[in-house]
Amino acid sequence: MRRAGLEMTGMASPDPHAAPSTSTGASETHATTSEAEHGSAGLPQFEFQHWAGQIAWLLILFVILYVLMSRVFTPRLRKVLDERTNTIASALDQARKVQEEANAQAAQAQADLADARAKAHKMATDARAKATAEAQARQAAEDARLADKMAEAETRIRASRDAAMAHVATIASDTASAIVEKLTGAAPKAADLSAALAAVKEGAR
Amino acid sequence: MADPLHQFKIEKLVDLPDVTLPGIGTVDLAFTNSHLAMTIAFVAIIAFMSLVTANAKVVPGRLQGVGEQMFGLIDNLTSSIIGHEGRKFMPFVFTIFMFILAMNFLGLVNIPGVFHMFTATSQIAVTATFGVVTIALVLIVGFAKHGLGFFKLFVPGGVPWPLLPVIIPIEFASFLLRPLTLTLRLFGNMMGGHVALKVFAGFVGAAAIGGIGYLGILVGPLSFGMVTALTALEFLVAFLQAFVFAVLTTIYLNDVVNLGHGH
Repeated sequence: MRRAGLEMTGMASPDPHAAPSTSTGASETHATTSEAEHGSAGLPQFEFQHWAGQIAWLLILFVILYVLMSRVFTPRLRKVLDERTNTIASALDQARKVQEEANAQAAQAQADLADARAKAHKMATDARAKATAEAQARQAAEDARLADKMAEAETRIRASRDAAMAHVATIASDTASAIVEKLTGAAPKAADLSAALAAVKEGAR
Repeated sequence: MADPLHQFKIEKLVDLPDVTLPGIGTVDLAFTNSHLAMTIAFVAIIAFMSLVTANAKVVPGRLQGVGEQMFGLIDNLTSSIIGHEGRKFMPFVFTIFMFILAMNFLGLVNIPGVFHMFTATSQIAVTATFGVVTIALVLIVGFAKHGLGFFKLFVPGGVPWPLLPVIIPIEFASFLLRPLTLTLRLFGNMMGGHVALKVFAGFVGAAAIGGIGYLGILVGPLSFGMVTALTALEFLVAFLQAFVFAVLTTIYLNDVVNLGHGH
């Protein structure tokens, strides 16, 4: 053990005096194992008496493992992976659909808004037009009423003026008759009086 | 402790009677530390995959996430190299990948003085089995799909005919070497890393007990740092070698699945 580190360099080269390796067993001490190893020829991997057992055991395990992998584990994992791919695809699909729906709804809302705005505008215009028309109608009615009243008043004025004018003629004839009677002492004849009045009237025009 | 190769020694844990098979000879059926390491890796993979897939949800938890990452790694590998037929071979590549990965990682489990896990992938018997199984599958797929047309694998398209006498032997030799390179790459990486770890750990031990005198004051901490760094590197190598094995398996399978398309 003292020369442990230095011994190692010579270890790999086969010792020509070596006896074929015999299984030394784990019970021996490290030192004696090391000595026995030192005496063995070459690598432990080339002890061919151990090959068949290892190969047979490995093949058995390999076949069992392959069958389990190909029949059980790989299909299970494949299924999960496919499922995941499908889930993601369908989720993306749905998201796209919902997005489209939302876009459509937004467009619809936009259209509705524009529609409502147009309707409101139209309503406002209508209301204004109606109000204007009503106001005009009322104005016209008022005008007509006022015109009527004015016409009536004019008629009444004309009537009273005519009446007054008629009275004026009578007063003029009476006054002329009284003046002539006072001047001449005799009442004028009615025919003369009216002719004179007519002449005056004519002259006044 | 001092011998860096002692860790690769096969030791019988349960000795079973030898059997003599015709044509093979005497087979030692003993359950060894290598068997134990393989079995633990096997059980660990099954436990892991069961936990991952038993209650698999669409929204994965942490463990399921890890399992899916590994699955996705190999699934992408096979489908990107082989194409749409890759799915058929994915379980095979995945099994090889997980098995090698588990054995590589288990080899790094070491509780000093208590328990030291054996690295099954540092045994040529084990890595050779993987290599041969892979190439056997390549051969089976090749002959099943193309019959004798499989031999077109050694005649790359677009090569001028005067070159064929040179190219064909090269292609053939490279094909024959594939199981060997698969075997030796994994074996060499795992063994080399573990030997390096052990050598530097031995230096630390030697320095600690004063085996190399005052030099130990310098060598000890340095080697300790090396062991720490190498351990981190070994984790990378453990994963990388499993992945490389899976990639090469996929490439070799692709050669025969899409024979004549990719050349």
